[in-house]
Amino acid sequence: MSDLAELTSPIDNAIVRLENITKRFPGVVANRGVHLRVMAGTFHALIGENGAGKSTLLNILYGRYRPDAGRIFVRDEEITEALESPADAIRRGIGLVSQHYALIPALSVLENIVLGAEPTFPGGALRLGPAAERIAALSEQLGLGDLDLKARADTLSVAAGQKVEILKALYRGAQILLLDEPTATLAPQEAESLFALLHRLVAGGTTVVFVTHKLREVMAHSDRVSVLRAGRNVGDFNTRETNERDLLRRMIGTRGHVPLDIDRTLTGELVVAAPQAPTGPTDSPTPTPVFVPRPPSGSPLLQVEGVTVRNARRAIAVRNASLEVGMGEIVGVAGVDGSGQRELAEAIVGLRRLEAGRVFLAGIELTRMSVRQRQEFGVAYIPEDRQRDGLVLDFSVAENYLLGHETKKSWGGGWLLDPQRMLARAVQMVERYDVRIGFTGVETPAGMLSGGNQQKIIIARALASSLRLLVASQPTRGLDVAASQFVYETLRQARARGLGVLLFSLDLDEIFQLADRIAVMFNGKVVGVVPRAQATPEQIGALMTGATWQQTGEKGKGNQGEMPPGAGPGALP
Amino acid sequence: MRARMLESGGFWRALFSVLAGLLLAALLMKASGYDVGAALSALWSGATGIAPGPSRGPNQIPIGIGAWKAHLDKFVLAQSLARATPLIWAGLSVALALRGGLFNIGAQGQLIVGALAAAVVGMLGKGSEAGGDVTGGWPPWLHVPLTLLTGAAAGAVWGAIPGWLKARRGVHEVLSTILLNYIAADIASYLVTHGLKDPNSHSMAPQTGLMAASAWLTPAVPGSNLTVGLLLAVTAAALVAFLLQRTALGYEIRAVGLGQAAAEATGIPAVRTLVVTMGLAGALAGLAGAVEVMGVHHRYVPGVAATYGFDGIAVALLGGLTGSGTVASGLFFGLLASGASGMQRSTDVPDAITVIVQAVVILVIGVRYLRKRALPPLVAAVLDTDERREEDADRI
Repeated sequence: MSDLAELTSPIDNAIVRLENITKRFPGVVANRGVHLRVMAGTFHALIGENGAGKSTLLNILYGRYRPDAGRIFVRDEEITEALESPADAIRRGIGLVSQHYALIPALSVLENIVLGAEPTFPGGALRLGPAAERIAALSEQLGLGDLDLKARADTLSVAAGQKVEILKALYRGAQILLLDEPTATLAPQEAESLFALLHRLVAGGTTVVFVTHKLREVMAHSDRVSVLRAGRNVGDFNTRETNERDLLRRMIGTRGHVPLDIDRTLTGELVVAAPQAPTGPTDSPTPTPVFVPRPPSGSPLLQVEGVTVRNARRAIAVRNASLEVGMGEIVGVAGVDGSGQRELAEAIVGLRRLEAGRVFLAGIELTRMSVRQRQEFGVAYIPEDRQRDGLVLDFSVAENYLLGHETKKSWGGGWLLDPQRMLARAVQMVERYDVRIGFTGVETPAGMLSGGNQQKIIIARALASSLRLLVASQPTRGLDVAASQFVYETLRQARARGLGVLLFSLDLDEIFQLADRIAVMFNGKVVGVVPRAQATPEQIGALMTGATWQQTGEKGKGNQGEMPPGAGPGALP
Repeated sequence: MRARMLESGGFWRALFSVLAGLLLAALLMKASGYDVGAALSALWSGATGIAPGPSRGPNQIPIGIGAWKAHLDKFVLAQSLARATPLIWAGLSVALALRGGLFNIGAQGQLIVGALAAAVVGMLGKGSEAGGDVTGGWPPWLHVPLTLLTGAAAGAVWGAIPGWLKARRGVHEVLSTILLNYIAADIASYLVTHGLKDPNSHSMAPQTGLMAASAWLTPAVPGSNLTVGLLLAVTAAALVAFLLQRTALGYEIRAVGLGQAAAEATGIPAVRTLVVTMGLAGALAGLAGAVEVMGVHHRYVPGVAATYGFDGIAVALLGGLTGSGTVASGLFFGLLASGASGMQRSTDVPDAITVIVQAVVILVIGVRYLRKRALPPLVAAVLDTDERREEDADRI
């Protein structure tokens, strides 16, 4: 903030300069007078919580949104008026790799890359030959030589898809590369490989602007960092001259409603300081035990036996997977994206038919039960894609809260709905969970809420039923620090209440923070189940990418009867 | 954000689409050299039965209740309302299905099946005729509801088939309902020329025998086609609105319509809901057919369905997929069609004006629904850029 005067000076070596950018959406001001300067050839991180306005700022720079006020300069040329669409941005050397990647599944990598600037013969027929050569050379030069240009985009992993998008931006001549939370869905090794690529680009003169809320990435990789909070730029720093603690303070500000133990958050220890449990018995004064593996008491709550599941494209996604979850235990399921976690979670909650295998809850076989029947036996689900599977975005908050409970009298459901009771319950839930819903109250469409508030509704709905097993799939994906803390706290409280929790996550940190035992999936198989205390992130990371337990250098350590038959050491093809 | 669109801009968009359609029709008349004033005047009196008052010159519309009464031709108005009746039924069918996320192009076929089934049941229970007196026939209080129910049931079955195909086999309902329309029409024309052909008919006319009078709906205005069927349609509209807003089933229908994945993941039985939605939609279309044969033709004749099933799409869209909106837009289109026929008779202007207005309505209103709900994902994605941006904006 101290360099505000500097910001407004017309002459500097910034390749991108945003001045006083303000952008309003109905009911929300996403950016309020944001100043931002990005130096040419630097790795510039943009951090902030969800809703801080990071994505909006990127989208303004990419020509998707027009600012309501403010000016945009690129290479000291004002383009505020000229920037009407992404095409204008691309023409000025700006490329965006968005959060949800934007490749066309049925086209090849090559076709995806040229899309938007397809080279043609006179007359309009596609002329891919020279483009293919150029792209092959470009990817070779960037160390992406193993990328198969003929592969269909839908066969790529998320990480590979992202690289294709970067390649696409560069092919279109991008010198300023914007990335919107690119590591949100990557395994640690994949993220490292992405950063290696980005560093090569920066070394070659490309400017990288990188949105994230992972402080460690910022500290490890960026040259400069700007912090956004509530739509404002609250500080620009040289990364070397700042630290995580300071950045986190600025990100979170002085908001009182979520007590944060910053030091412990930073060291990876977790916060147990939330004063009031939002659900469940709160009279117990003992804090939830953290990092103490609780051995399952008696027979396991959930037993998954030799389960095989197909994915939406009818390919086998989970092969002969076995797992157990005890009461009062969190079992984390780790694995790189697409290893079958989603399908396994869906099979357990009843959304996917089993090709083989059986599922038991407290000794009762669930295998053939519908989702609703399983719910009645105490299975609740926090889905991975909350906007698709968790909420009806056009429904109001109150209507969403009723989802799945619409036949219950006490919820205001039943053959005839009882709107009064339904609204009252929703209002109660909103207050208890501190859901930020704006002035239209529980009638606000759920699609208008931020990700954290959406997730609160889903969690509240899941926990409000009588519950024995909570299946949580990527419960903090896309959430900011405060909202993630809320989710962690909820899962810990569920454990303290004696529930079984099955946590599917791509974020190894999350798994290490929460899980009592860690199951690792690779290529549709459960390749290991180890107590957290006996595992290191490196070992788990190695298992996630297909190494055997021996190859992780910890011979025999995890081989203590935890491995399911046939999936233990040396069982991989 | 469809829900919000309905609340905020729905009415104005509807009004705009209608005015734009009428304006375009007027411009086309002008360009073709017709007297637009006379044509519109004829359209008005043909639709409402309110004749231009002689003392005020030919093109003036009377003002004041007394003036209205004096110049009101009840028969014309009744015919207009009768014309609206099947449109409201069919509109409700399309609207209910679309609220459940299904694009029912098959109201036409469901209507035909309903009409045919109603005609068959209507031919039963005639009793024996002796010296002008009918004895042993079914009483109307039994025969009328039974015939209506049969029509509804037949339509429900015809509707449930594509619902089931969609839920279980993933067959897109647009495809299956269109195909079922042909099947329904062909089955009907086979039956009326073979098994169900009127034995008393001396002509070659393919039609069923006459229904028993106990299954007829009596005209509200003597000689007109207006019957209690209109009242039933309005009641049905209220019931549909109640179903959707105040019952668990209706809630489930809307949940599946707006977010099938979320509905399934929270335990709503999507398969059952899809089948029930299409079954109910089919029943409403089937009732359109039943009311038509019971009130107008008193037998099944090919063409009884006209294009009501397809017109229902425009009716539902203009009505914003609500019960009351569908009644209003059904009345509008009914009056428009009736007025256009009158206009064609008296001024020679072709009644294609109704088609023009319908087309504009579908273009202006429909595209907003269709691109999201009923088109293949790729086409929807192409059409959807604008709205997606809006939704992005909502979440920042």
